[in-house]
Amino acid sequence: MDTSTAKAKIFDSIRQSLRASEPFDVVHAEHHTQEDFGAIKPFIFENKVQTFCENLTAIGANCKIFSNLKHARNEVENLIVEKSAKTIAISDSDSVTRIASTINADFIQKASAEELFDCEIGITSAQFGVAETGTLVIESDKEFNRLTSLIPPVHICILEASKLRNNLGEVLAELSKNLSKSVTFITGQSRTSDIELTLALGVHGPKELFVFIVENE
Amino acid sequence: MNHVTAETFDQNAKAALQDSQLKGALNNLTNTFGERRKIAIQSVNNWEGLREKASKIKAETLKNLDKYLEKFTENAEKAGAKIHWAIDGKEANEIILGLIKERNAKNVVKSKSMVSEETHLNAALEKAGIFPVETDLGEWIIQLAEETPSHIVVPAIHKTKKQIADLFVEKVGILPTDDVDKLTQTARNFLREKFQTSEVGISGVNFGIAETGTILILENEGNIRLTTGLPKTHIALMGIEKLLPQLSDLDIFLKLLPRSGTGQRLTTYQSLITGTKRDSEAEGPEELHIVLLDNGRSKMLSHPVTRQSLACIRCGACLNSCPVYQQIGGHAYGSVYPGPIGAVITPQLNGIEKNKQLPFASSLCGACREVCPVKIDIPELLLHLRAKVAEEKPKFLESFAFKLYSKAWAGNKSYELGTKTARFMQKLVAKGEKIGKQTSLMGKLAPPLGNWTEFRDAPTIAEKSFRDIWKEKKVKSKG
Ligand code: SF4
Repeated sequence: MDTSTAKAKIFDSIRQSLRASEPFDVVHAEHHTQEDFGAIKPFIFENKVQTFCENLTAIGANCKIFSNLKHARNEVENLIVEKSAKTIAISDSDSVTRIASTINADFIQKASAEELFDCEIGITSAQFGVAETGTLVIESDKEFNRLTSLIPPVHICILEASKLRNNLGEVLAELSKNLSKSVTFITGQSRTSDIELTLALGVHGPKELFVFIVENE
Repeated sequence: MNHVTAETFDQNAKAALQDSQLKGALNNLTNTFGERRKIAIQSVNNWEGLREKASKIKAETLKNLDKYLEKFTENAEKAGAKIHWAIDGKEANEIILGLIKERNAKNVVKSKSMVSEETHLNAALEKAGIFPVETDLGEWIIQLAEETPSHIVVPAIHKTKKQIADLFVEKVGILPTDDVDKLTQTARNFLREKFQTSEVGISGVNFGIAETGTILILENEGNIRLTTGLPKTHIALMGIEKLLPQLSDLDIFLKLLPRSGTGQRLTTYQSLITGTKRDSEAEGPEELHIVLLDNGRSKMLSHPVTRQSLACIRCGACLNSCPVYQQIGGHAYGSVYPGPIGAVITPQLNGIEKNKQLPFASSLCGACREVCPVKIDIPELLLHLRAKVAEEKPKFLESFAFKLYSKAWAGNKSYELGTKTARFMQKLVAKGEKIGKQTSLMGKLAPPLGNWTEFRDAPTIAEKSFRDIWKEKKVKSKG
């Protein structure tokens, strides 16, 4: 197919239509005056850690706050034991690597897709947390975490408190400076209500999400 | 399956009204989503301000669509994506089939895409021996049942748990169950294998960002992340109208879309994809192909009323709020896009002639306009299209009122007359507390509706527009 002619034809049609619309646009605008509803004030929170936790917990995920990485590490170890996880996928972030190096378990760093399907837990960090919605933001150029956070049935995220922002607007502004090939926003665990609108968790992604916020790195 | 088309809307609606199981499902859907939406919109500052801003952004983008498309494609190509252009659905399907064949791919996974329903992509691929597997739970159910979606957000809403369980027993060989979790896990297990073996993943697109060449896809399940993350080749099919100027605009649209659609503050996953991976070690596909589809969209730009249709972000709120949809569900429309938005875009996409009844599948109550996050004036659009129908086929009242309306548009200065006519028509339709055949002229105005109101009275409709109420409120609070 000659896609270059298709392109030319589509642009021609767009421009022709826009020109044809001009006389009507004036009349339409006259009768559809736009209203001013005032400024849209973004949310700013006094305690981002608290707000993040509340919002994430409200949609059924787990969120815990730890004063330092060592305490978070202990909780990770507990979870591995509790889930009797045999294979654990980990991202290549600093905090995750440090935690894994002190726990005696079978960790796979930068697991292949095939390996990931056999892992019971995936551990990653995140580049941002959004307090307003309880959202994790992961960037493919910063961390090898896109599928690690998705394929295993349990996702643990180690999030430094300094990565928390108030709202999505702040994150988008920072992201646009250097956009990764892939950026993913994660708010809670995988879910569906496609069957009679009944909520079911873990349809394609993790059934459980644990976010451990570390206050002092 | 019965062959349901928009041409037989009349009969379809009648049949749907007698389906009590469907009625139950629709009640559940419209109540649940309606309530959730109401709660969710309270969790933002200035909902009305957000809607106004979104509608302005969309209007500006559409008025300069050629420039934004140039920018978008230039930036996407710079980031490594390959751009394809398709004038109609057939061309889009041929491009996609060509890409699959060139790669010698046998297995294809697909995530939910209304545009691919519009082009009938699956049928086209199947004809060529490629059987794409739908991976969204609702879409997969529909595919197994060999049906079509009845809602743009929850495609299998017309099916009961029992029917779905029976379907899985028959087609996937599970043991009978009535446990939704078990049914969901069936999909997970079955589809995981498909993800692992597929060479090509096909997705839709929710937004394209001109400034960066990024495509954004929203979802709750995670199947889109798998479809766009595991196979070597990702093909994204998008309508040319899906653009937003800049990344920061997402702040507004990501507040509006999930709240309007499912009543969530944010959908579980947003994937923002910009081109292809930069080093071979990284995760993700090697190739990204973006297929841009016109299929009648560029023509809709030729009038400010029809152009609004292109602002739609497919949230589904107008379906949930519509007293007609609430009664008859999605299939009766006989078109890919059901509900109020379907009633206005289908005739524009597929021609008025075949879809004459659709612009009349509304009581013009204005509920859709009140909930629409991008403030599309659907009643205005319906009238505009009715006028077109009347032009073709003059008929008693229709030709009188609608010709008045179209005349008003022909001489622009008398546009006011057109809007007056619109208000007049609305009065005819919305008379009294209940709308029924006896209490209004609707039966004469809109034949299919005349029929469905025979069965029951429709709920009270918003007589005052939100805009009016808002204005009154503002005046009051000022005074
Ligand atoms: S017309 Fe408005 S309410 Fe309806 S689906 Fe589109 S954006 Fe949503």
